[in-house]
Amino acid sequence: MVDQRDEFISEAQEIIEGLARDLLALDASVKRKEGADHELINDTFRAVHTLKGLSSLFGVARMSTLSHHLEDLLDEMRLGRVELTPKVLDVLFRAVDVYGQILAALRAGEPEPARSVDELLAELDSSVSRPQGGSANPLAEYDLDPGLLAVLTEYEEHRLRTNLQQGVGLFVIRVRFDLATIDGALDNLKSRAKPHGEILTYLPSGEGGDAESIDLDVLLASRQSLDVLRTELAGPNVQIEAVARRMQHRAVSEPPVTTFGGEAPRITTPPAAPEDTSLFAPRTQSGKEGFSGTTPRQAVSAVMMEEEPPPLVDVPRPGLSIRGVAQTVRVDIRKLDHLMNIVAELAIVRSALSRITDRVRGAPELRELGIELHRLHRGLDRHLGDLQSGILEVRMVPLGQVFDKLARVVRQISREHDKEVNLVITGAETEVDKLIVEELSDPLMHMIRNAIDHGIESRRQRDDRGKPETGTIALNAYQKGNHVVLEVQDDGAGIDEDKVLATAIRRGLVTESETAAMLQRDVLGFIFMPGFTTKDGVDELSGRGVGMDVVKTNISKLGGVIDVHSELGIGTKMTVTLPITLAIISALVVVIAGRRYALPLASVLEALVFDPATVRTIEQREVMTLRGATLALCRLDAFFGLPRPASANSSIRRFVVVVGVGNHRLGCVVDQLIGQQDIVIKPLGKSLDGVRGFAGATELGDQHVGLVIDAPAIVEEILAAGDASRLLGARRPTGATGGEA
Amino acid sequence: MSRRSSTREASEARRAALARRAVERGARAEYLAFRMAEEIYAVPIAYVKEILKLPPLTEVPRAPFDVIGVISVRGRIVTVRDLRRRLRLPEAPPTRRSRILLAELTPEQGGTGERVGLFVDEVLHVYRFADAEIESAATVLGSELAEYVTGIGRQQGEMILLVDLRPILGGAKTQTPAQRPVLGGRPGA
Amino acid sequence: MARVLVVEDSAAMRAFVRAALEDESSHDPIEVTEASSGFEALRLLPRGPYDCVVTDVNMPDINGLELVNFIRKSEHHKQTPLIIISTQASERDKQRGIALGADSYLAKPFEPEDLRMLVRAHLDKRARR
Repeated sequence: MVDQRDEFISEAQEIIEGLARDLLALDASVKRKEGADHELINDTFRAVHTLKGLSSLFGVARMSTLSHHLEDLLDEMRLGRVELTPKVLDVLFRAVDVYGQILAALRAGEPEPARSVDELLAELDSSVSRPQGGSANPLAEYDLDPGLLAVLTEYEEHRLRTNLQQGVGLFVIRVRFDLATIDGALDNLKSRAKPHGEILTYLPSGEGGDAESIDLDVLLASRQSLDVLRTELAGPNVQIEAVARRMQHRAVSEPPVTTFGGEAPRITTPPAAPEDTSLFAPRTQSGKEGFSGTTPRQAVSAVMMEEEPPPLVDVPRPGLSIRGVAQTVRVDIRKLDHLMNIVAELAIVRSALSRITDRVRGAPELRELGIELHRLHRGLDRHLGDLQSGILEVRMVPLGQVFDKLARVVRQISREHDKEVNLVITGAETEVDKLIVEELSDPLMHMIRNAIDHGIESRRQRDDRGKPETGTIALNAYQKGNHVVLEVQDDGAGIDEDKVLATAIRRGLVTESETAAMLQRDVLGFIFMPGFTTKDGVDELSGRGVGMDVVKTNISKLGGVIDVHSELGIGTKMTVTLPITLAIISALVVVIAGRRYALPLASVLEALVFDPATVRTIEQREVMTLRGATLALCRLDAFFGLPRPASANSSIRRFVVVVGVGNHRLGCVVDQLIGQQDIVIKPLGKSLDGVRGFAGATELGDQHVGLVIDAPAIVEEILAAGDASRLLGARRPTGATGGEA
Repeated sequence: MSRRSSTREASEARRAALARRAVERGARAEYLAFRMAEEIYAVPIAYVKEILKLPPLTEVPRAPFDVIGVISVRGRIVTVRDLRRRLRLPEAPPTRRSRILLAELTPEQGGTGERVGLFVDEVLHVYRFADAEIESAATVLGSELAEYVTGIGRQQGEMILLVDLRPILGGAKTQTPAQRPVLGGRPGA
Repeated sequence: MARVLVVEDSAAMRAFVRAALEDESSHDPIEVTEASSGFEALRLLPRGPYDCVVTDVNMPDINGLELVNFIRKSEHHKQTPLIIISTQASERDKQRGIALGADSYLAKPFEPEDLRMLVRAHLDKRARR
């Protein structure tokens, strides 16, 4: 920060010093009653221009404002609209002083001197005098290609006019430059031409399609004769012509004198003056003649007419117009989200309508109305379903989007681990909802990283085992009914079940006797347990490493499931099954500690009234008896650490929602049951990744957000916390109570 | 003539480099100023994507300490953090001037790309500060706040603390006790 | 990635324009190529194609109007959106630029936001074709 400021101060200092020197020179020439040197004025202008730019970039506001005003003044001076009088010079010198004050303040860390600047600016305006117009227009007397005139800036035009007024001759030098060497060649030409006059402009001519070289028309004002110029500026690709001076008041029919060859630039513009049909010369067949049709003098003077500038072409606004109808439409995903939300709201209304329909049908006196209502409801249901499918289809994107990114990751990680890995992708065209695709890339990357890290063995090991040196990871995707299946398969070392079990037993997740009847998928399922795959070290597992619990959480947030299958020494296959879309699911809305939450019905077995009298405590866990079986309880308000509302007393009726996850059952105690509702689960932001127990959130109407409870996560958390496994459910479905004292 | 042009070229090149560096450093950055408790803070406006009045806020149990809840923004669920908690400022209840800034830092900018809401007591103006105008904060504040404050700007005598959003929106996960699973299964109170 | 050619002889202005256009790091980044003179622009144009060209009018040697004229005749950039930057003082330069085929103009001084919006509008329009 600080050194940049110093640099700025030093650059500004240099510019201001140069400015002061130029002003002194200008002052001298004014005193000697010579005309102001246009180059000096131009240099002064550019110095202030640069100062304005830099001070603006560095936020030195007052310097920037002052420079801006000075620049305007100097620009007008350049264009001949403002005279360089001693009074103006005074102001300019004062400006240099003020610049100095500003720099001094900057160095000292003080604010810029506001008053000096304001006073100076006030003086600026009052000291400027603008000469009245009305001088004869010398340009009209010359046979200039209007095409050339059209591309002169006002400044250049002013320089041209000034030269002509002083009786200086005009010449055009046609040169061809090699683009590769143009800088040097240009400097060369400039230095050779400078002693003989003023170069006004360089006009690129020709079609410009050639990437190798460029043709330039250089307009030169010089008092030398054509012959001298031709001698002095001779060169292989150089052609010099004089611009003829025409006699005034000649008849219109005089044939136009060719000024220089080449085609007139094609310019499309509306006509300037009523008499002229076209402002600029139309192209001719051969392109060698200058122009025909319009009277050169008329055309030229039309161009020069300052009283009547050509009508402005409409500047296109940032607003857009549609050109024709395309086959595809680019849609903002937010608009689709919005539509999806409307559909979700409609679904909620439809559910409510369904309940009302039932009630109406139940009332005998409203029977006919009920039938009608029912019929309409069915129609609504159908159309809504179609609408939903239609919108969801629009949101579908091919998985290939994610897969491409993965290919790069594979290359990077395999280099890191010095393993040769080949990624084989099939089914990249399989389509999935765009939001799902976005959320998939992280879990997929995790899985692949693990596969390379711990799955694929080192080259030596693979060699020993008789495997090809290059490991393979196969990524496959296909659609299966309402779901999309993603498979990540590697030909690596596989997962050692024994080691997994050992770790699981050690962590109390399961007892040894229980493991006897476990299937492989249950055993491998342990790797998805929260906290399972941590710092204990990779060696313990010889399979997957960090992060599989996070992967599973992310997949379940999308409404999917993940399965593992592995064979020691052969490889591992992970299968992710996802709903194709962020489906609308049915959920039970409950109230816990005064807030609404949603519990996906897929996990809910039943709901009943909570009878505190049936609660006992076993090994520090609350349980109740349900139809002869022991049901572990979890008071969700306590579980989530939610404060009980002050008005709570135990006499208010509460409820138990029994959730089932695999073979486990858990009774979740809630305050109220609101009812069943169709919801769309939206993911929570990454910043809430560490929060366990929620599958996402949904809008419960009127912008109120309800968190969606992740029952499987809660069950797992309780399991992981201790010895509760026995209480949460037996492995055998014979209903053993497991309540050993 | 050629000597003059070569020194001029050198100056031009130098100034071009200086200008380029100034721009890269964001020398002329615009900041959105807001009030929290009695002080004025600001963040680069480029990171603020939207300013919202307070929609209904839903608390999230077991969330990190400065997360006050989630809101729905056009169907998307957005986490809202209270900067006052991070900066240890008194938390007055929301007023009708309270706002939520939707801020986002891309991974290149040091963030996660997630759009996060930041609760503030009141939104003020947009100010322009050049690098040159920003003072270092370390001498003024205690070291704990220095983590969040990158500098101090002044506007008409007022002191404006420039907040670094990276520790708040950055990629590092914050540890909170709420993440630890409930152990032992205590009987409900 | 949209490519924009910026032609401007003042280093500070170039940096300013670059900052204005490269500011957004979101969905559709802009790659800015700088030319410090009309000649350099001529050299860089064949290395396109560019999706938009922003040029100052008042440049020494080959000025912005000549450049606009040239670009409109060229094979590859006939239809490329062209934005000219002119000074407040010269209304006529601005009009000339439009007459020669520039699509929009901005007069100095301008806010970075204005240029950004203008370039974006042209890029979006172009992308829809």
